[in-house]
Amino acid sequence: MSDNQKRILDLLAEKKISVDEAQRLLSLTEPEKDTGAGRPEESAGSGGKPRYFRVQVQPEAGSGKESVNVRIPMALIHAGIKLTSLIPDQASDEVNEALREKGVNFDVRNLKPEDFDELVAALTDLEVDIKGGKEKVHVYVE
Amino acid sequence: MKCPPLLLCLGVGRRRFPIWLPLFLLWPLAAAVIIVLAPLVLLAALILWPLGWGKPLLLSGPLFFDVFCALRGLEVNLNVGNRLMLISFK
Repeated sequence: MSDNQKRILDLLAEKKISVDEAQRLLSLTEPEKDTGAGRPEESAGSGGKPRYFRVQVQPEAGSGKESVNVRIPMALIHAGIKLTSLIPDQASDEVNEALREKGVNFDVRNLKPEDFDELVAALTDLEVDIKGGKEKVHVYVE
Repeated sequence: MKCPPLLLCLGVGRRRFPIWLPLFLLWPLAAAVIIVLAPLVLLAALILWPLGWGKPLLLSGPLFFDVFCALRGLEVNLNVGNRLMLISFK
């Protein structure tokens, strides 16, 4: 048993993670084993770089609400961040000032494409499930 | 190598089947426009360089091309009852 697996089991015993999360983490530490009916979105976590950001909103049958399925390529987000380099310094100052007026203390010049790779790597295991009312919201990367 | 999207799939309203638009047919036209406008853009960049707009003007073309190529795989699918809105770049 590897150190990672032992740590995962320790976290489960301490009830810091759920059984589903432990199972998913264990499958990531053993990519050569057959994980059975794993969800497609876990392919990003088993060694592959995530390529898409997905948002799905699924209503209950008969509720009449809209369903939403959005798939955004990570490359598109990366290219959008690179576009910020087109902003001249004078315009950057004005944008930063406008953001500060709205209470957002952020410098647009801090957005760098190399930081994006680190962010994408951190998003590998992102998965958000919201079940409320008559809709289910699922946000994940694949 | 980056490749722009070849097809655009559009579906709006009560259409049962979406429309497939061949974007690749626009590539030769876009290339011709770029070739024609390139000298003008270079001239404009030289004139605007002292004002700080020259470099953004020169970089904008390749960056927007990157954005266009990155559209491949973008998919937005909304369904309300029997009405749909679908935009998909292949």
